[in-house]
Amino acid sequence: MSTNPDRRRAVVIEDDADIRAVLVLVLQQLDFEVTEAANGLSGIEAVRNTNADLVTLDLNLPDTDGIEVCRRLREFSDAYIMMLTARAGEIDRLAGLDTGADEYLNKPFSLREIQSRIRALFRRPRRPAQSASDELTRAAEVQKSLLPQEKALLDDYDVAGSFRPTRSVGGDFYDWYQTPDGLHVTVADAMGKGMGAALIAATVRAVMRSVAARPGIADAFSSASSTIAADLDQSGSFVTLFHARLHSASGKVSYVDAGHGLALHLPAVGGARRLASSGPPVGAWEGLQWAPSDIYLAPGDSLVVVSDGVLDAFASLEDFTRDVERAVREQPTVDAACEAVLRLAPAATAEDDVTALVVHRRPSAGVKAGAEGSLVRAPELTDV
Amino acid sequence: MQFSYELKDSYAEVKGAGRLNMVSAPKLREVVAEVVAGGASRVVVNLEDTVFMDSSGLGALIGCLKAARQAGGDLRISGVQAQVKMVLELTNMDRVLTSYPTAEAAFGDD
Repeated sequence: MSTNPDRRRAVVIEDDADIRAVLVLVLQQLDFEVTEAANGLSGIEAVRNTNADLVTLDLNLPDTDGIEVCRRLREFSDAYIMMLTARAGEIDRLAGLDTGADEYLNKPFSLREIQSRIRALFRRPRRPAQSASDELTRAAEVQKSLLPQEKALLDDYDVAGSFRPTRSVGGDFYDWYQTPDGLHVTVADAMGKGMGAALIAATVRAVMRSVAARPGIADAFSSASSTIAADLDQSGSFVTLFHARLHSASGKVSYVDAGHGLALHLPAVGGARRLASSGPPVGAWEGLQWAPSDIYLAPGDSLVVVSDGVLDAFASLEDFTRDVERAVREQPTVDAACEAVLRLAPAATAEDDVTALVVHRRPSAGVKAGAEGSLVRAPELTDV
Repeated sequence: MQFSYELKDSYAEVKGAGRLNMVSAPKLREVVAEVVAGGASRVVVNLEDTVFMDSSGLGALIGCLKAARQAGGDLRISGVQAQVKMVLELTNMDRVLTSYPTAEAAFGDD
């Protein structure tokens, strides 16, 4: 059997050899790769084997009733099914369409009519699997468009993020936006994967942005989290959330960590430190409060926030922290650092969405640590 | 991952071996819902053979805990392995999901 993947495949199920030969010819003219079957059972087999795009089905078959063949085909095939019969009457026609046929022609039929009807069928893209995957592709584009599109332009800081969903879309996201005195960043991971998680992620992003103008992070987070928790209560889901506000002049980072737990402070000198979490994920439990904490980014320091999809590749938090630190410090730019962190969870084996965000404060002139233009803190690269 | 349960004197023990993830999480929810609906609202989920748990798995445990509490009981976990322990600590959910060394010990104090 020829298996040209680009050619459309048809199966002709027809017991009359003359009519069958004509149908084969008609379909070949339409550039189908055609397989013939003289009875119902071999026809079903042929559709299964060829993964046919089109089936012409005679209703009067020697072994099985055509309606029954149609019903069985629909159990596994999305092929267009065109019923051909000498039986006249409305009832047959309805029975045929009800069992999943797409088109119904009475014998005798004109060859031109068959060809026109087949062309018409293929003009209507109707495969559910196809349209669902189109929708997913579109959803992935939308999700990508919700990631920060513009570079953060801050004196003395470089900011980058990277996100790789396991499916077309995912429950992770990162976000940042500039403020008059610095930058707000968010990294979140909605429970689960796929479309459901992506919808929650988009909601969380919007809610977090809506509180951007509130003066204090505690107040802003408290307001945002109660809105998010109320939404999540309906869906039985939760979201881990890291949100931080950077005051760029001082390097002060005020943050809230709601069950995320995977934010690291990489000082220019000294080992990485995992930032303490402020409480459980948002939506996980009732009546939760999260207290903000502060760290300071000195020149040469980095803040690295990663999602748990990367953690899954490690046996322990210590191993994770060590390898993330190394991956970041080895890279010359924050963009490369994010990609290096994502590579710790290879796409082939990662079961979860993975996200990395890096905020790096450039070393001040004259105190530049490490190799030229790199995030390396040389010379003592100590393990944590 | 398949789950089974056993009714003990004062609690029901739910067990499953493998990975508690997006695929198996709904099954855990179903089994615990069935147990609670059957009148046993004190539930121990024995995790000694659960080698991995993701956020969906954690979500299922939280949902089951809520279901048990709503029915006037409680849900506790036992035999927690390294990766599951890490997830619980990282998310701070170890404060809410109380862990015991064995299923027998989980309701041993009351």
